[in-house]
Amino acid sequence: MEIIEKIKTNKSDDNLTEIQKICLHKLQSSPLPNPKSELWRLSNKSKLSTFLDFSVNEKDSKFDMPYPKNSQSTIRLIIGENYQIKLIEKNYSIQQLSEDELQKYIKEQISFFKQNENWSDLLNLSLSCKNNILGLKINGSKIPPIEIFSNASSNSLNAKTLVIFLEKNCDVELLQVNLGKENSSLSQSTFFCLKENSSVNHGVVSYGENRSNLLNSLNVIQQKNSSYNLGSLHFKFNYARFEISINQSAGNAKTHIKGMQITKKDEQISTYTKIEFNGPNGFLDQINKSLADDKSHAVFEGSILVPKVAQRTDASQLSRNLLLSNLAQIDTKPQLEIIADDVKCKHGATISQLNEEELFYMRTRGITLTEASKLQLSSYFQEIISFIPISKDKWDLLDKLLNEN
Amino acid sequence: MQSKMKESDPILEVENLSASTDNLPILKGVSLTVYPGEIHAIMGRNGCGKSTLSKIIAGHPSYNITNGDIKFLGENINSLEPEERSQSGIFLGFQYPIEIPGVSNLEFLRVSTNARRKFLKKEELDTFDFEELVKEKLEIVKMDPAFLSRSVNQGFSGGEKKRNEILQMALLEPKIAILDETDSGLDIDALRIVASGIKKISNAQTAIILITHYQRLLDEIKPNYVHVMSDGQIIKTGESDLALELEEKGYEWTDNFVKET
Repeated sequence: MEIIEKIKTNKSDDNLTEIQKICLHKLQSSPLPNPKSELWRLSNKSKLSTFLDFSVNEKDSKFDMPYPKNSQSTIRLIIGENYQIKLIEKNYSIQQLSEDELQKYIKEQISFFKQNENWSDLLNLSLSCKNNILGLKINGSKIPPIEIFSNASSNSLNAKTLVIFLEKNCDVELLQVNLGKENSSLSQSTFFCLKENSSVNHGVVSYGENRSNLLNSLNVIQQKNSSYNLGSLHFKFNYARFEISINQSAGNAKTHIKGMQITKKDEQISTYTKIEFNGPNGFLDQINKSLADDKSHAVFEGSILVPKVAQRTDASQLSRNLLLSNLAQIDTKPQLEIIADDVKCKHGATISQLNEEELFYMRTRGITLTEASKLQLSSYFQEIISFIPISKDKWDLLDKLLNEN
Repeated sequence: MQSKMKESDPILEVENLSASTDNLPILKGVSLTVYPGEIHAIMGRNGCGKSTLSKIIAGHPSYNITNGDIKFLGENINSLEPEERSQSGIFLGFQYPIEIPGVSNLEFLRVSTNARRKFLKKEELDTFDFEELVKEKLEIVKMDPAFLSRSVNQGFSGGEKKRNEILQMALLEPKIAILDETDSGLDIDALRIVASGIKKISNAQTAIILITHYQRLLDEIKPNYVHVMSDGQIIKTGESDLALELEEKGYEWTDNFVKET
């Protein structure tokens, strides 16, 4: 109940938006997720409690860009900065969604929410004030790459919401960067609607500083013939959850996901994915990698739902995990729920340590153990990093990771 | 044979070496001395300890030396790390070269070559200079340059992996190369190319230990000495004709030596 009180004491009922009121009402009966439910049983209770400890902050302190803008054509947006976006060029347009469009879409989404499954979104939408909700409608082709930043200031809990409509036949590269300052909590919810024949290469890179926390939820609806590629990377959070929900609403769509989470010290980072095929001929290729060191804990739970209507679905989900310490913990559970009878679905999980024979081979060639481990980790990371759009050429994520691991 | 007067100091001295893994004794008192310019062949049944001996000389961390010493250029190297042994000039050619997905072969070769060059106090090579050097060395093993842009040994055939091993030997210019069944998995032509490469790389200041089951490699590279191993020991040492005798009579013939030992 504390969190409800916290939001309410922050402002009067009159200042709450309609969406906030709806979400608060939904949270009223059970303000926290059920710790015994499948989606929350592995979540560290005290860390979740730390996430909620900070006071809600609706205004950001000055935001420092994590890397310079290399190309003039790249479009950079920061959620929470109060500006009007209206870019209309010959081949494309990027415009802010109107208040009505935003309200209508979010309300519709909320109507499907379940308390445990969508707790992170309910919390986010209870906390997000108007200024911290960015809605975009993207149309056309030859669109310059888009970068969207979200951040949480120190000693506060910030909530940011992003809604994107990708119109028919639209094709775009979009990188979302979520940054947590020291001792902070960021609640980020993203709603992506891909209309027919649209295509997106979506990158999500989230990293924190000392004792920062993140609840990151991503909801994607894919209409037919759309293509959604997601490359994601989460690291350096005391506590982080990345919840992905993808709904191929009419089948005949393609989804590729390559994600990775890296945990050290006593951090806990979890990824939960739910991919639902609601039409025939859907395609999914998913790989999730975890790397856990020290006393940290990484969790991956993935579910693929293939109802009867989703005939000829072709789905693959693989969880690959690297355990670098005897005290680290990895939990992984890829699952399939198949009703349709004409499908091709596979899933699997592996947990291993750095390959001793590979290390010995490199060492017999004069490469030190530290360098050999770095080379091995770099090859482990490379598959995911090369899938993250925009960042790969100009933001040397690999170096950052290797130097910090 | 080993007591024969030599003009220079030995490159490698293995003295009464015993070693184990998981408390299981594998080597039980092996002694072997290798001088510059020499080629030694070690033969023996599967599981007799040949490959283990090569790995222990190269510093494999899974084995414990329980007795004896390994000296390289007069220095005891028992406690040196594998990379230190490599940098100082010991090369192990693997029986099954390891695939390292995601690590570029060219970059791997460059990093290892520079590690050796750094030890030799030679200037380290940048990418451009290294490409020049590696092109020259590729000729030795007649290897397609396309293999440089792939991941280390990934998708290589058995023969290509072995050529890649000899390419590494050519780049690292070791004082001693221990080649563990380099001939396995090679067709006749590839065997000739690899053998010719090994001969081109070696000289009067370096030495080679060939671990093999077959005479066919020794037809190409004639050893000065042949050692027969059994149950973690060298049970007989002879000149190159010992290998021919072994080929003719089989390992059963050596069982009598074991009894004598």
